[in-house]
Amino acid sequence: MGESKRKKIIIDTDPGIDDAMAILLALSSPEIEVIGLTTIFGNVYTNLATKNALHLLEIAERTDIPVAEGAHSTLKKVLKVRIAHFVHGSDGLGNQYFPPPQVKAIDQSAAEFLVEKVNRYPGKITVVALGPLTNIAMAMELDHKFSQKVGQIVILGGAFAVNGNVNPAAEANVFGDPDASDIVFTSGADILTVGINITHQIIMTVADREKLAKCKGIFAQYLCKILDCYFSYHMDAYAIQGIYLHDPTTIMAVVNPSLFTYTEGIVRVQTCGITKGLTIFDNTVKRFEGITDWSNKPKIKVAVTVDAPAILQLIMDRLMNS
Amino acid sequence: MPFGEGENIRDRESKVMEAITSEPRDGSLSSSGNDACHRGEKVIIDTDPGIDDSMAILMAFQTPEIDVIGLTTIFGNVSTVDATRNALLLCEVAGHPDVPVAEGAYEPLKGGEPRVADFVHGPDGLGDISLPPPLGKKVERSASEFLIEKVNQYPGKVSILALGPLTNLALAIKKDTSFASKVKKIVVLGGAFFAAGNVNPACEANIYGDPEAADLLFTCGADITVVGINITTQVILTDADLFELRCSEGKYSQLLSDMCKFYRDWHVKSDGVHGIFLHDPVSFAALVRPDLFTFKKGVVRVETEGICVGHTLMDQGLKKWNSPTPWSDYAPISVAWTVDVPKILAFVKDQLMKP
Repeated sequence: MGESKRKKIIIDTDPGIDDAMAILLALSSPEIEVIGLTTIFGNVYTNLATKNALHLLEIAERTDIPVAEGAHSTLKKVLKVRIAHFVHGSDGLGNQYFPPPQVKAIDQSAAEFLVEKVNRYPGKITVVALGPLTNIAMAMELDHKFSQKVGQIVILGGAFAVNGNVNPAAEANVFGDPDASDIVFTSGADILTVGINITHQIIMTVADREKLAKCKGIFAQYLCKILDCYFSYHMDAYAIQGIYLHDPTTIMAVVNPSLFTYTEGIVRVQTCGITKGLTIFDNTVKRFEGITDWSNKPKIKVAVTVDAPAILQLIMDRLMNS
Repeated sequence: MPFGEGENIRDRESKVMEAITSEPRDGSLSSSGNDACHRGEKVIIDTDPGIDDSMAILMAFQTPEIDVIGLTTIFGNVSTVDATRNALLLCEVAGHPDVPVAEGAYEPLKGGEPRVADFVHGPDGLGDISLPPPLGKKVERSASEFLIEKVNQYPGKVSILALGPLTNLALAIKKDTSFASKVKKIVVLGGAFFAAGNVNPACEANIYGDPEAADLLFTCGADITVVGINITTQVILTDADLFELRCSEGKYSQLLSDMCKFYRDWHVKSDGVHGIFLHDPVSFAALVRPDLFTFKKGVVRVETEGICVGHTLMDQGLKKWNSPTPWSDYAPISVAWTVDVPKILAFVKDQLMKP
């Protein structure tokens, strides 16, 4: 694939074990060119996300790719210093305590970096958002034309017509900053969101992990080291001998969108109450009496089906041949 | 022409009305003689009639296994006062002017003007076909007092079919802490589970009518079955079915056919459905024919704030949460999960077309 045809992507990320897999996957996918990573709290706090992002680029020998550190607190200035240690380990990478990276983040903030890149390549940048959407909302605040200038925003977020994963109502990324999510979803940008109703269909089994362990791929070898923690969490929380590939699936939505179908409609996020972080999709089929909070908002694309075997195969192939 | 049809139908209707309204209404209720002659399950219908409520109520009166021991009224499809008028009228139409009607709350728990869906059911709630006023009167007790009295009189024996916002039931639970354990079963038409609402994308009308009451009821520990619009919108009486109803010998088929015109036209406009959703009759079926459904148990909470106020959220129990959530430590209730649509339709049509 010619350099010019590759999609330029910026990954906004909170690594995180499945983020690590997603980043390595993106770097081994010829269809896309990763032009930067921006970091956010979520699986870990933002400082640690930055450290892990830099570390992953060292592993991949791609320290030419810039890392811009993002927000430490939500739009409403709630500081996020929590680590989902029971999911990703207390270092965010499966309790491996890798040596600190030699390289540093750039001076620009994540929001500034995003704004600069979409202005340099208007209509050409795909932002892949794997964590809470604070940086993206801040970029939109910084540059009111951001949503028109960005090519597409592909989001891992929401739980559409299914239970959440933080609590019965909310999915973790949207719950991380519901106000930012509501701003982004109603911004008018070209958005595809992939919820856990989709990603829960893509499961890497213990047998798949054994295949990874046996192959010589550098990324496969690296990932096998960090996956233990993630497997035990899934056994404990969901009673499954496998792991959900949330972030890698979202990368695949950029690499090969034809493996998904989506419907268009309006998504709003509940920002208070017991269902804070709930994503409600109006498919615009029913004509409601009067104006609702969904009326007259821009539509986004919500993934509704996925070719799960094909996605898993693609992920395995890419990781094993790395 | 008020009935919008030929003289023939009009004559028949007035004869029906004459026949039924000539019986006296016993405002004193609970006449033991009346109780003795009914062997069926005791049911109180809490209702905001409402066209589909009317169907469910008339079906209930025609079902021998059911002993309707009272109607309690609530705002929703109409105001509470209009609901009472319509409930009295329906008892008379059904030939049961003796069945007590207790008027319920005029506003939701948190106060304020209730939302009334007159655009769905017509200004009078019964399809705007100029029905005469009832002859009888409501009882003096309020709906919640009536509910408490009956549940205490027959502990473990009284089931409630709740077809409107849940204010009356919540008030009964608040006033009598033993209510939840003494009521036999509560079947609720309400909520939209993992599906879009009908007031807005987040919520269904009955729950939206009083979200605080719904949250209180769903978490009270009573034996509760809830039937959401994810189930009821699967059961449609089509234009062809409505025509069949009109042509049938059903005791109330002309009256219901006339009422349904307004309701049907709204469905075309709102949902592109050429027919009507059978919300209340399906909920009635969940009470008497639970075998036509499957149910899933889970804790249900109702959002009471923000843009999703009135949203019903069930914890399906698919995940072990690592810390307590707002769903933790409440008793699960039964949520209707699937419905045998052809069998329910046959059941409803059979009941409505019964001569």
